[in-house]
Amino acid sequence: MNPGQQRRECAERAADSDLLGELREILAEATGREDLLGVGEQAPLFGPGVGLDSLTGTLLLREVRRRFGVDVAGEDLNLDALATLGTLAAFIRDRSAAPGPARTADPGPPGIGPAKARSGGT
Amino acid sequence: MIVKCVIWDLDNTLLSGVYLESGPRPPAADPAMLAAATQLRDRGIIHAVATRNPPEAARHAARVTGLDFAAAECGWGRKSDAVRRIVQDLAIAPDAVAFVDDDLYERAEVSAGVPQALVLSPEDMADAVGWPEFSPAAVTAEARRRGEMYAERRRRLAEARAFAGSRDEFLRYCRTQVAIAPATAADAPRLHELSARTHQFNTSGETLAESALAALIGSAAHQVTTVGLRDRFGDDGMVGGSVVDRGAGCAWTVTLLMMSCRATGRGVIEALLAWLARSAAQGGAAELAVPCLVSPRNVPLRLALAASGFRAPPGGQAGLSAAVFSRSLSGPLPDLPGWVTAG
Repeated sequence: MNPGQQRRECAERAADSDLLGELREILAEATGREDLLGVGEQAPLFGPGVGLDSLTGTLLLREVRRRFGVDVAGEDLNLDALATLGTLAAFIRDRSAAPGPARTADPGPPGIGPAKARSGGT
Repeated sequence: MIVKCVIWDLDNTLLSGVYLESGPRPPAADPAMLAAATQLRDRGIIHAVATRNPPEAARHAARVTGLDFAAAECGWGRKSDAVRRIVQDLAIAPDAVAFVDDDLYERAEVSAGVPQALVLSPEDMADAVGWPEFSPAAVTAEARRRGEMYAERRRRLAEARAFAGSRDEFLRYCRTQVAIAPATAADAPRLHELSARTHQFNTSGETLAESALAALIGSAAHQVTTVGLRDRFGDDGMVGGSVVDRGAGCAWTVTLLMMSCRATGRGVIEALLAWLARSAAQGGAAELAVPCLVSPRNVPLRLALAASGFRAPPGGQAGLSAAVFSRSLSGPLPDLPGWVTAG
């Protein structure tokens, strides 16, 4: 491997650990549990240690969409990306790196934002 | 569309006068708005305040109206932002709120900022008590207590924020009790109300009439189940239910699964899914299927399904609007947490 490739790999590894760090923060915020700032990359998010549920999971997904522009629920029917923070990081990385249609600005939580005009008295 | 919450302006709307200009005698409640608000409260519609006043104005309004406000936004920012914060705070959808304000510029601003909300002048509001949006078919016991339940919810959330421990530890600390029981005919009105009002935790997205529910309750091929929830902060009554078609083969199908979003984060939906799996296994089924609408609105339900081991065959995702999630019943099944009683 030449120095250029080595530098790129180092940069990618650093970015990966930044991404994991951010995901740990988002998880800790969503669950209100500071101890999750130290959660392992392989810890099952739906397992008893983390206990991600429908409420904390929604908060997590919302923040991931806001920060990274990735709509996990919209693209992953079985939410396999939420198996661990590691799988979630990989999911986000793949979607950030892949060329594709330009991501539009976060439309906000479901139900809020520009929507069909309300007709009164229905 | 059913209005779950009315958000009131205070000055010259809910109050007959301007709070900060009334000197030593703050304004009384406007009689027409008070009458409307009380009627709606008795139908299970909750109330909130969005006012450009200090917080004591909301406390004063609560005293002179006798209403419980589920939320109060008191500040000098945009009303549409206040409405949005209330909607998020109460975990309801923006098209389930009505906003009442005497000021036409405020009404225009909120209409532009929160287009799904029903925006009304006080004159409209006086008339609107007769509109379908404000008239549930039957008023259940849960509906009448709704204002109090929101007060209980606030106390529970405050304790949750201060609690240091896992979610399950908090649920035990709260003395959470989940009661799962077979439905009887008397449960049909509340089950109907749930089918009309639940969106985030609802697999079918369709309302079931009371008569249809009564028929299912009496049907030998179906199993209709109710879920009750209470803890040390209060009793939420029946918060969810399910309809299972036992079918002819070895797969049982959950044709309807629904839960009030008020029960979110309290382990109830997971408890129901675990119970349904165990009940189906005990009945001899090899698999439990949950057909489910796939929409941004019921992502919380999909999270619960994923957490409980249900999977749908992937593929054809673009434009996919419904999927069948299922799990095998042959392996080890999830335990019911200790706070669940099954009748």
